Amino acid sequence: MARPVSKICAGDIMKDWFLLLRWSWRDLRKYWVKVIAIALVIGIGTGAYAGLTSTANWRRDSNVASVELLNMFDVRFELAGESSVDKGELATAALGIAHADSLDGVQERLVRPTQVDASSGADTLLVPGSMIGVDIADGGPAINGWHVETGSALAPSDAGEPVVLLDYGFIFHNDLPPSGSVTVSGGEDVAYAGGALTPEYFMVVPENTSTFAQGTYAGVFTSLETAQRLTGMEGAVNDLIVTVADDGDRDVVAAEIESAIGDLGVGVEVMMKEEDPSYRILFEDVENDQEMFSIFAFLIFAGAVMGAFNLITRLSEAQRREIGISMALGISPRKIALRPLLVGAQIAFLGVVFGVLVGVLLGQLMRSVLVSFLPLPVWITHFQWSLFAWVAVIGFVIPFFAAAYPVWRAVRVKPIEAIRTGHLASRGGGLAPLLKRIPLPGDTFAQLPFRNLLRAPRRAVLTTLGIAAVIAVLVGFLGSIDSFVGAIDRGGNAIKGDSPNRLVVTLEGVLPTDDPGVVAIGDATSVGETIPILQIGAKASGVEDVDLLIEILDLDNDLWHPAISGDKMQGDGLILAEAAAEDLGVVVGQSVSVTHPVRTGPTTFGFVESDIVVAGLHDNPLRFAAYMDVSALESVNAVGLANVMYANPAPGFTPGDVQRELFELDAVSSAQKASAAADELDDLMAQFVGILQGVAFFVLLLAVLMAFNSASISFEERQREHATMFAYGVRVRKALRMAVVENTIIGIAATAIGFGGGLWMVWWVVNVTAKETMPNIGLTVELSPATLVTLVVLGILAVAIAPLFTVRRMRRMDLPGTLRVME
Amino acid sequence: MIELRKVSKQFGDGVPIVALADVDLHVDAGEFVVVLGPSGSGKTTLLNMIGALDGPTGGSIVVDSVDISKAGRKDLFDFRRTSVSFIFQSFNIFPGLTASENVQFGADVAGRDEIDPVSVLESVGLGERVDQFPHELSGGEQQRVAIARALATGNPVMLADEPTGELDFETGVQILELLQKQAAEGRAVLVVTHNREISRVADRVVELSSGRIVSDGPPADGKARLEDLRW
Ligand SMILES: Nc1ncnc2c1ncn2[C@@H]1O[C@H](COP(=O)(O)OP(=O)(O)OP(=O)(O)O)[C@@H](O)[C@H]1O
Ligand SMILES: [Mg+2]
Repeated sequence: MARPVSKICAGDIMKDWFLLLRWSWRDLRKYWVKVIAIALVIGIGTGAYAGLTSTANWRRDSNVASVELLNMFDVRFELAGESSVDKGELATAALGIAHADSLDGVQERLVRPTQVDASSGADTLLVPGSMIGVDIADGGPAINGWHVETGSALAPSDAGEPVVLLDYGFIFHNDLPPSGSVTVSGGEDVAYAGGALTPEYFMVVPENTSTFAQGTYAGVFTSLETAQRLTGMEGAVNDLIVTVADDGDRDVVAAEIESAIGDLGVGVEVMMKEEDPSYRILFEDVENDQEMFSIFAFLIFAGAVMGAFNLITRLSEAQRREIGISMALGISPRKIALRPLLVGAQIAFLGVVFGVLVGVLLGQLMRSVLVSFLPLPVWITHFQWSLFAWVAVIGFVIPFFAAAYPVWRAVRVKPIEAIRTGHLASRGGGLAPLLKRIPLPGDTFAQLPFRNLLRAPRRAVLTTLGIAAVIAVLVGFLGSIDSFVGAIDRGGNAIKGDSPNRLVVTLEGVLPTDDPGVVAIGDATSVGETIPILQIGAKASGVEDVDLLIEILDLDNDLWHPAISGDKMQGDGLILAEAAAEDLGVVVGQSVSVTHPVRTGPTTFGFVESDIVVAGLHDNPLRFAAYMDVSALESVNAVGLANVMYANPAPGFTPGDVQRELFELDAVSSAQKASAAADELDDLMAQFVGILQGVAFFVLLLAVLMAFNSASISFEERQREHATMFAYGVRVRKALRMAVVENTIIGIAATAIGFGGGLWMVWWVVNVTAKETMPNIGLTVELSPATLVTLVVLGILAVAIAPLFTVRRMRRMDLPGTLRVME
Repeated sequence: MIELRKVSKQFGDGVPIVALADVDLHVDAGEFVVVLGPSGSGKTTLLNMIGALDGPTGGSIVVDSVDISKAGRKDLFDFRRTSVSFIFQSFNIFPGLTASENVQFGADVAGRDEIDPVSVLESVGLGERVDQFPHELSGGEQQRVAIARALATGNPVMLADEPTGELDFETGVQILELLQKQAAEGRAVLVVTHNREISRVADRVVELSSGRIVSDGPPADGKARLEDLRW
């Protein structure tokens, strides 16, 4: 028997494909709104990932380039305490070491604490700072150079003149003019020619203040001669920075110079480049932000992928019946797959385009924020080709895979099954039989939404998870901000207490409280109440070691005392921050081993270790903050001594008045509002809210898009059911209501899951990331009402009302046409 | 119960396709009318007009005292809810609802709380399958669920488009019997088919050709009994 031979000529094949292509073109025209919407989902997901991740690379590159440009030191040698040597001695000592040929450069400096009064008119700006004097014969230092960002540079002829540069960050954060004049310690007015960036001030991190002190700590850079004159240290230097050749051994050089300086008869502290707080935090900050961004970016990405996959799968599942028919007609799976794949390709292409656009847009947003908030001499913000390439590949692969998956599933079953089941969507099945046994209240209208969800549980779960992932990001994002803001607020409130204007007056050392200089503070006209404080640095050992700044004060004073949280005070002892107690692993009533200073001579201190009972916990989130009653002064052998005063302005005076008056006093090293750091952080957060809202907007758009797509596809899948309802006189309003109920269920489930996930993220940020990067701030997980409202509005409301977008299509539905379709 | 005057329907804008032309039709309550005609003659279109799924391009249609050619959108929804009930060739029962729930839907939509879906299903011979989902039912069973759903509305006009089209003879006869019973109980029942055999059991046969009524009257050989049908 002769087997039938299929005679297919080339022309037929061409015609075949041509028809398929035309058919696909119709698909695309039919789906274009959804195609764009899904492509946007992919675009936002991939773009957010690329955009957010770009910043880390930018910062790393820019940090390295900036540090290199300004030739940051490799090793720094600071003379201990107040000691200094004659100019030239340090350089000579360094150049005399055995491995002197390993040195690239040496630079002597005079670095002294100062105060800077940059007040203008009624605005008091009086901050502590540091004055750095170097040789400016070449216009500026060769090591730790000055990059003049605003105003003009110093000329060699400025040596010895009252002309300085200010740290650009200080100028920027306080909106100072590019040049002007300030008053420094000693009361002398100096002109500042401009603002400069220098590696040690890229990040301003003075001891025991918040990490971001750019606006409350002033770097003053000037000629060595000027610095010597202004600080009254004529001819002296106290600081040496060196750079080491690439092939030199830094440790050897450091050790040799250390001993050479020791031979001069002065104590010296050695600091490697990596130990410099500015340098360390500059780079650490990148990694920390990166870690946090990565989580957020990944979740946005994951949510988008899940959402897109789900949507595309459903889109091509709708063709399952046609696939079955095609199979019955003997069309090869390859050709069958063509139509869904072409839709996938279109989504893929648009997704990549949108992804790059969103990535670039978000990148630019981040860039502008970074560049202005983190001024560096060099900002390298190259387009991250490889990153975007990866993202594009993923953005391209997902739609293909998602489109092919249902085809692959369909061609594996017998054609008849594919035909008979129609769209998978209109099959009974799923978990619906479960409901048969669970009687639900209400009529069939009330039940349909539940039935519809249970009919296709896999799809309902995917949709829910996709939206949940996006909501998790939003909660994680906003919750982290809430937790930071909450900690800042709590810190601010704890510090302010009943004396919101309280000033912390730092004395020029440990002084007797009856010292005339100290007495003068209390006598100042603008000063009201004062109390003396002895502030000592200490280290408590426990599960973890915790650095403490213990303030010893009269806990019964009327000016200010820490608010004790939770349990009452239990006798005398140490009052710790909750975070400190937790890290140490102690509770109130237990004792903890503390290494603290004890006075050994009139002005000398030595360290001892004692067990001190934890008497209570205070409510300040700053972990290092610790307090003891004045009775503890005996145990450190410092009765009647103080190095700090708290002062309230006298009635009718402002903190600024106090600052200005105390500025003139010899015994005062600086006077700051106690809440200065918290206020600064507050301002900073407020400014960041802008980008946060930008990112939140993208996330929001993503969730809305996903909900809209889902509703739109659901509508198409159920077109016949809707048509039947309308034929029976069910109003469009009622059909919409059912769809809304169905989406509300998804919205509530997604919000609940997203909330859980988001909360976990906040927990992670608070307890893992922040704990590592900001061990000194005891954060707790907090969610503001605004976040909760956003969550409910977005998660439930936006998802719930998404079906309303289909109202037009419902109204215009071709009833006879839809009903006539045969199953 | 049903009153059509000079009803016409055209599709398309350019060269219009005339689906119905000047159709006059009057059907009383209790009548069992079969609309007969070759494919494309306009039967479905006629039914869609009567059921207010689609509007005519000319003429007037009054069904159950509602002039649906003039009624507004809202009134049309009300009309469909309370005056007509559809039985489709392709069943169109809800895949997500069980048999009894599909029937319950019919009662719910017309606001008939007193209806017991199980007894309606029993009346169409499906008393045993009330909790089955559509995909667990045969075609004939699904069509019976569709009829039960239409019955549950209690609406006075019943419109069936090729209700037996996808069914075998035996089942088809059962369906016809059910429909006949509805007419006997006082409803106006309109059944569309191209199957001349079915028309033999009708009270009245309306024949359509190219959108026009070409004959209207009792079956040519007189009304036959269901047992005598052959196809
Ligand atoms: N939506 C439409 N657009 C254009 N023409 C249509 C449309 N619906 C029906 N027609 C045309 O109107 C005419 C009548 O169609 P109708 O569906 O009423 O036929 P029918 O008698 O029910 O046929 P069958 O027995 O095959 O179901 C046909 O020529 C058809 O092509
Ligand atoms: Mg028809």
